[in-house]
Amino acid sequence: MEPYAIEMLHITKRFPGIVANDDITLQLKKGEIHALLGENGAGKSTLMSVLFGLYQPEEGIIKKDGAEVKINDPNDANALGIGMVHQHFKLVECFTVLDNIIMGVEPCKMGFLQKKEAREKVLALSEKYGLKVDPDAKIEDITVGMQQRTEILKMLYRDNEILIFDEPTAVLTPQEISELMQIMKSLAAEGKSILFISHKLNEIMEVADRCSVLRKGKYIGTVNTKDTTIEELSAMMVGRNVNFHVEKKPATPGDVVLSIENMTVASKVHKNNAVKNVSLKVRAGEIVCIAGIDGNGQSEFVYGLSGLEPLVSGKITLCGKDMTASSIRQKSILGISHIPEDRHKHGLVLDYSLEDNLVLQTYFEPQFTSKWGFLLRKNIREYAEKLIDQYDVRSGQGPATTARSMSGGNQQKAIIAREIDKAPELLIAVQPTRGLDVGAIEYIHKQLVAQRDAGKAVLLVSLELDEVMDVPDRILVMYEGEIVGELDPKKTTQEELGLYMAGAKRDEVTV
Amino acid sequence: MKKALKNPGVQAFVASVICIILGLLIGYIVLLFINPEGAAESIINVIKNFFTWSRANKKLQQFGNTLSKTMPLLMCSLSILFAYKVGLFNIGAAGQYVAGSCACLYAALAWGWGWLPCMIFAIVAGAVLGAVVGMLKSYCNVNEVISGIMLNWISLYLTNTLLTKVKEVASPYTMYIKDVNPSALLPNAGLDKLFNGNKYITIAVPLALFIAIAVSIILNRTKLGYELKATGSNKNAAKYAGMAEKRNIVLTLVIAGGLAGLGAAMLYLTGYMRWECTQSSVPGMGFNGIAAAFLGGLNPIGAIFASFFIQHITDGGQYVNTNFYSSQISDLISSVIIYLCGFVLFIKLTMTGMINRSEEKKLQKIKAASSEGGDR
Amino acid sequence: MLLLIQYTLIFSSVLTLVALGGCISEHSGVINLGLEGIMVMGALGGALMMRYLGTSSALVMVLLVVLAAIVFGMLYSCLLGVASINFKADQTLVGTAMNLLATAAATVFVKAINTAANPDDHSSEIEYVRARKMFITNINGFEFNWFMLIAVLAVIFVAVMLYKTKFGLRLMACGEHPQAADSVGINVYKMRWSGVLLSGAFGGLGGICYILAGVSIWKFENGVAGFGFLALAVMIFGQWQPIRIALAALLFGLFRALSNTYVGFPTLASLNLPGNVYNMMPYIVSLIVLAFTSKTSRAPKAEGIPYDKGSR
Repeated sequence: MEPYAIEMLHITKRFPGIVANDDITLQLKKGEIHALLGENGAGKSTLMSVLFGLYQPEEGIIKKDGAEVKINDPNDANALGIGMVHQHFKLVECFTVLDNIIMGVEPCKMGFLQKKEAREKVLALSEKYGLKVDPDAKIEDITVGMQQRTEILKMLYRDNEILIFDEPTAVLTPQEISELMQIMKSLAAEGKSILFISHKLNEIMEVADRCSVLRKGKYIGTVNTKDTTIEELSAMMVGRNVNFHVEKKPATPGDVVLSIENMTVASKVHKNNAVKNVSLKVRAGEIVCIAGIDGNGQSEFVYGLSGLEPLVSGKITLCGKDMTASSIRQKSILGISHIPEDRHKHGLVLDYSLEDNLVLQTYFEPQFTSKWGFLLRKNIREYAEKLIDQYDVRSGQGPATTARSMSGGNQQKAIIAREIDKAPELLIAVQPTRGLDVGAIEYIHKQLVAQRDAGKAVLLVSLELDEVMDVPDRILVMYEGEIVGELDPKKTTQEELGLYMAGAKRDEVTV
Repeated sequence: MKKALKNPGVQAFVASVICIILGLLIGYIVLLFINPEGAAESIINVIKNFFTWSRANKKLQQFGNTLSKTMPLLMCSLSILFAYKVGLFNIGAAGQYVAGSCACLYAALAWGWGWLPCMIFAIVAGAVLGAVVGMLKSYCNVNEVISGIMLNWISLYLTNTLLTKVKEVASPYTMYIKDVNPSALLPNAGLDKLFNGNKYITIAVPLALFIAIAVSIILNRTKLGYELKATGSNKNAAKYAGMAEKRNIVLTLVIAGGLAGLGAAMLYLTGYMRWECTQSSVPGMGFNGIAAAFLGGLNPIGAIFASFFIQHITDGGQYVNTNFYSSQISDLISSVIIYLCGFVLFIKLTMTGMINRSEEKKLQKIKAASSEGGDR
Repeated sequence: MLLLIQYTLIFSSVLTLVALGGCISEHSGVINLGLEGIMVMGALGGALMMRYLGTSSALVMVLLVVLAAIVFGMLYSCLLGVASINFKADQTLVGTAMNLLATAAATVFVKAINTAANPDDHSSEIEYVRARKMFITNINGFEFNWFMLIAVLAVIFVAVMLYKTKFGLRLMACGEHPQAADSVGINVYKMRWSGVLLSGAFGGLGGICYILAGVSIWKFENGVAGFGFLALAVMIFGQWQPIRIALAALLFGLFRALSNTYVGFPTLASLNLPGNVYNMMPYIVSLIVLAFTSKTSRAPKAEGIPYDKGSR
């Protein structure tokens, strides 16, 4: 039997109150692309932390080329030729590509950097594997795709043999994804062993030779992708047959609730506008989804709409009322609810209790604040208990739990309870299912459809193709700050959607 | 016992006591190094402060002095903790205190105002200075610590210049309020009789205690406190929730500045001290306020006791044996205590960690006993 | 006029040295608000050396005094390192405590040695008339101070170190993105400690330079009059880059020098403004400058955030 490049045998890692990895075995052959599949919280990242020596497992061993090895810290992993492209790139933004690649293994004489030879090696590598980069460009100025290539070059520069890609496609355009797939294949052909962590089944089927599945910290099994189907993989991942399709009746759109005309929002990152002259309408009783690759102006569009960022120009009308100049508070009172993209940055005050977070948008109302400006704690408690019950928000100590100590799914449920219970005319939901497990995703999708069926207007912003195809009644595709296409989810395909998202296809959209 | 130690209030108290003990210990060691002979006696005198006097009357009188100086310190520490709860480090409290001193002394001595308008003027002066820091912070993104320090020096030089107009001819000190304008002295309201006729005990004492309680209520029970703490804890979420987060920052520093300014009025309008128009460093009251705020566990009620303690040992400094030591040993001790307060979070975490570990062990023992022989 | 240039240069040297210290520390990810205190300690170290060294050649004197200031500054900066790197304490609080502690400790200490030498002497002053002369070369009425040269060399040294060496690359990585640095095997704690210690060295140098600038006797009760904070303003104005810091320091130094020399300018003297106005100038200028430059700051991204190896 050929020795494996790396083997993790019977790894068990416990944390107080939880077994993160329970007897997990992962064997990576030389020159193969091996997928590691599992939901959020399945134990993938714990397993990788064990491989990099960040955690020491209670049980189990790691073997390299058949011989047992001890990995105490990332330096040991590096020495064994293990490298990783992290989901959130570990790049210093104000350094050049070259500086980032050589950092940690700098060629130098008497402490002075010798960048010339490093540059030659990097250029040779980038030639060999088709990894186009400009070594002197600063990270903050280059595209996400190029940043990822920098990360790959970082591993190759160190002559790593075992390459780990952690959810590498989340931030890429479809074109960049297919480029990455090519690169991964050519790396494997050169004899590198690749571990590909993902929860995207299509990609795993396309690129991986074998796939190991984890669920709730347990090892479920390893299959050859040739011999399996997407359905089988998803059942292994979730533990039951999942109905990915969202149940809903046909929409019955009513009056226009939200109308945006020629909205332009400046960018915080570059000099161009992030949102350019966008117009759209959302009617009562429909879910409209803004689709697009991350970073094409969706966030800024929502910031402009909600009032978190000022508009350069444009007009916002809600239920016939001009709200362009209204404050965030006025918009909220007059019927806009907003489930924000980043629940830790915007959605919650993490140091506040759950009950205080549940009244974050309504604390000033006479129900919660007396005439003299005192908080009516009893009413807040009662209201919080009602929402917790109604929306099944689970937490350690009920309303008094600190938001920080709650799980991501329950934090999101709390935000959704708060925003929906305000009975808004318009519900804006930005990536509402990000980082959640299948159960929570189903729950949130049901809530969105319920809002629609109750005659509210719902504006969904999503990066997940499945969500874009399943949940909304109408899709608007945003590319580089513009709406480039309007699609009917019942008639379009993921491929067509992808072309719009990549900017390869565009229509003149009129609203 | 363990349950009590889990309570955050108890933890804060224990942590503060640890800081105090270590601070005094370090002070003692320093004295030992300088001269082992009188070290023990001197450090005990620092701790005893007015108790070093044997006569009960004198004791009471000196207690009154310490108490009357505690109140401005309490105001400064409230100023700092109030801002800190909103995520701002108001090191400018020292300068706001200076501005308050300038305002109340000038109004009292040059314009002959009564005590109430003088006091209000001091509050306004402190608040204006706080507003400058707040506006620089929220509209120009200037770090409040650096702008606060700059304003400390600016207000010191400005105050020296202005108060020179109302100083005694022969000395660098401002004139006595009691000679020029007795109506500007804070009323005693009979409180002086409780302290052996110490006339520096005025309505400032109950007023300061009342304000400490009010600050506590504002922070914990009102809409304003809810908004300000949300702004301090997560600026972005506050903005998302429609709070005017920039206005809140300015408002916080206005209130903090007003508290520090009021503190100055509580000292200078008693006549206990006069301003020295040639002083070349910012009075330490505002900085000691930092010590009191953190030592009090950033709790307004805790600040009352912490302020008294800090003032107590500061005054105690004068009872060291000056043949060998200097009274600045008190400053040294209180700055060591501030430094140690930086470790409070660590101390608390250690306490919680220790409790959790021992509880877990207990739990495991119970589990092991109940599932004897069984495999999990 | 010559006097104004002389004072401008010497005060700029102080600000440059201290601001460079702040810059190194912040590039490693630690905000050093304790610079003021570090200056006091550096000044104390240098002054003690001058007091006890006795007769020796100018070169030996200059070297030893500089060394003493550096050592004192570095030792004192350990307080910041331990608290903010190892114990993840609030860097603002610790820096403030260090400033207060330095003045108090220096006062207590100097008073103690003065009293020990002469029981009637309760002052906190150290005198160094003769020693100061060794730092100064008189060129046609212009007092050249060796620290002016040291400051220029320091700027070059720091610029080369940050941008041309392995150490600089790694240091800045720790201030910008410590997780990235850690992931390639750089020890973030070690680099931050280096940053803090170096800032202690430069702060200490700045401190001794400050008390040698214009006087021959120093009263330690006075501290260093907010110079540590002015240096931080210089650093921000200089956008954390050594060369720009030096230029910014010249500007601030000029305003500080005016308060020493305005009497010599007939136009200024005839305005008859109180001296305090000139004393205020550097602080007012720095407030105004900060108001205009802080909006688009290029501060190291991870500064002030304690690094925790566990959380990634």
